[in-house]
Amino acid sequence: MKINTRKFGEITIDEKKILTMPEGLPGFSGFERFVLLEDPKTAPFCWFQSLEEPNLALVIMDPLVFKPDYRLGLKKFISDMNWTDMKEGDLLIYVVVNIIGEKENKKITANLMGPLVINSKNNEAVQVVISDPAYSCQYNILESS
Amino acid sequence: MLVLTRRAEEKIKIGDNIVVSILGIEGSNVKIGIDAPKEITILRMEIFEQIQKENIESAAKKMTDIADAARLIKKRFSKESKD
Repeated sequence: MKINTRKFGEITIDEKKILTMPEGLPGFSGFERFVLLEDPKTAPFCWFQSLEEPNLALVIMDPLVFKPDYRLGLKKFISDMNWTDMKEGDLLIYVVVNIIGEKENKKITANLMGPLVINSKNNEAVQVVISDPAYSCQYNILESS
Repeated sequence: MLVLTRRAEEKIKIGDNIVVSILGIEGSNVKIGIDAPKEITILRMEIFEQIQKENIESAAKKMTDIADAARLIKKRFSKESKD
């Protein structure tokens, strides 16, 4: 199907790749269908693009690129969601990226407190809240050690 | 907004499935227990608002800034893998 996107204009996507957010996306209630778009030019960033609103696209990335020890205890969450028969690798984890400040003081941050968890088996996506004070919502990516 | 006054150890029932208990009060802190079905999401409001704010701002970044940031991250983390 054809969709309009913020970054790529009109593109064709595979309908099997459409993700639904049964619990919605905080800040954007009413939008429930998204697709994950990648572009080698802006890698490691990906785009979490709304199907309903072309201008709605979040910048997201794989947190393991900068924080290889980022681990989430998702067992309870998975059972609460009734996601059964999950294997490792069926879950994709992304974090929302932001750029804050101006010019020399620019900081690139990731929200480690609210990762996007995608179940690639049923194509559901949920933004999970991690209640671990060790994870900041504005983690400074370039200062990762 | 409905406003109720409750003492420690008293409860409030909301609908058929939710019970909010006032477990204790210490100074300006109120300890609350919530029994609700697992499909009900319960969050500290300020944490939800932070996540909401990060989402809204992430969707509003300039394309040029995003491209610059991607380059910086690529440079920073591909260098490390070569070491």
